[in-house]
Amino acid sequence: MDHNGKGNVQPVVAIVDDEEMVITSVKAFLSLETEYDLHGFTDPEQAAKFLETHPVDVVVSDYLMPKMNGIQLLGKAKQLQPEAARVLLTGHADKQSAIQAINDVGLFQYLEKPWDNSQLLLVIQSAIERTQLFRTLREKISELDNAHTSLKDVQSRLLRAFL
Amino acid sequence: MSDPAVVETRADASAEELREELELTLRKLAEAHKMAALGRLSAGIVHEINTPIGSILSNNETIRRSIETLKKLVTVSQTDGQAMPQRAGVILDTLASLTDIDKLACERIYAVIRSLKTFARVNEGDLRKVDINEILLNTLKLSGCVFRRRVSVVTDFGELPEVECYPGLLNQAFLNLVVNAAQAIQGDGTVTVKTKTDGDFIEIAIADDGAGIPPDVRKRIFSAGFTTKPIGEGTGLGLALTREIIQDTHGGKIWFESELGSGTTFFMRLPIQQPRSQEQA
Repeated sequence: MDHNGKGNVQPVVAIVDDEEMVITSVKAFLSLETEYDLHGFTDPEQAAKFLETHPVDVVVSDYLMPKMNGIQLLGKAKQLQPEAARVLLTGHADKQSAIQAINDVGLFQYLEKPWDNSQLLLVIQSAIERTQLFRTLREKISELDNAHTSLKDVQSRLLRAFL
Repeated sequence: MSDPAVVETRADASAEELREELELTLRKLAEAHKMAALGRLSAGIVHEINTPIGSILSNNETIRRSIETLKKLVTVSQTDGQAMPQRAGVILDTLASLTDIDKLACERIYAVIRSLKTFARVNEGDLRKVDINEILLNTLKLSGCVFRRRVSVVTDFGELPEVECYPGLLNQAFLNLVVNAAQAIQGDGTVTVKTKTDGDFIEIAIADDGAGIPPDVRKRIFSAGFTTKPIGEGTGLGLALTREIIQDTHGGKIWFESELGSGTTFFMRLPIQQPRSQEQA
């Protein structure tokens, strides 16, 4: 894995939209403004496949797409990489899909098309920060777990030595 | 004993009345279906346009920023002693002003789309609390697409609380009145829309400085099936439906004042809160 979770790696962002133009626009903007590792997919199934093997910090997905809608894809992303933040960027602005997305897949942010670049950037930046904090937290917990196990080990050895 | 001939005439009359009523109901139903279909169509159009306009607006912003970066880079090389070809400066400035225009153009398209979005709510069947001023503004924007060149719009909106209503239906009622107001104006004129709060009610006034309603027509304007517009322009249902929406559906009141040659004002009074029983129904 190329992700060490320490927050100093190049953040990975996946953008999924069946419209090539959206991917091109978002990628062009982000590649000029940031150093993110950007991956665009017009096919949500391919995106899901990518997520099986590549850790990402954020998934930005459209809602209405053939084969798999945005909520299904983000649900899959949640299952594969629970820590990665999920953002829905949709032109289909109905409340029902928003509520479903927030409740079902624990959405980080719901954005409507046409989007504002500065706002999108802000959302992605805070999403990355959140994901990396989660990863650091998980590492600290596992470090604590390890320390706890070795302390227990020492404790039992001490007990064995003295009793 | 009643005269059989009279009974027969009465029966004929009531059959005729029933037939007319049925016909009107069918036409109203067809009109409601048309509005619902239009609502769905609008929602589809909004969705279809949001994606490309989103892409263009995003690119516009990226290009604008890139031009600024390029300008800075050129300035840096100039201070390093490398002369910039004069033409390059002109091209960069032209590109910058073109992107500014593109941005304005896109924002105008987007404004139309936003007002269509409200219209797409025709299918919403639930009571909701909404900002009536915002609904009116969107209605004016949408109808402005047709009348903007000859009819100017003046708004005088008071501060309103959120009003419990069926937004899609009110939108349809307002659109009917605004279109009527604009159509009453021959040539150039002004449509004025005012709102205010009055106790537990809000009041909306939509005024035009058009031809006014002839006295002999005034009594019949709210009747379904009555129109003075040419065939194909008016269904004769607009004001009847509007009255139904304001009075029957929302428990409000609609009336008008008109003077030949100086114009007509339609007034609407709507309760801020719908009665509980109606909400539960």
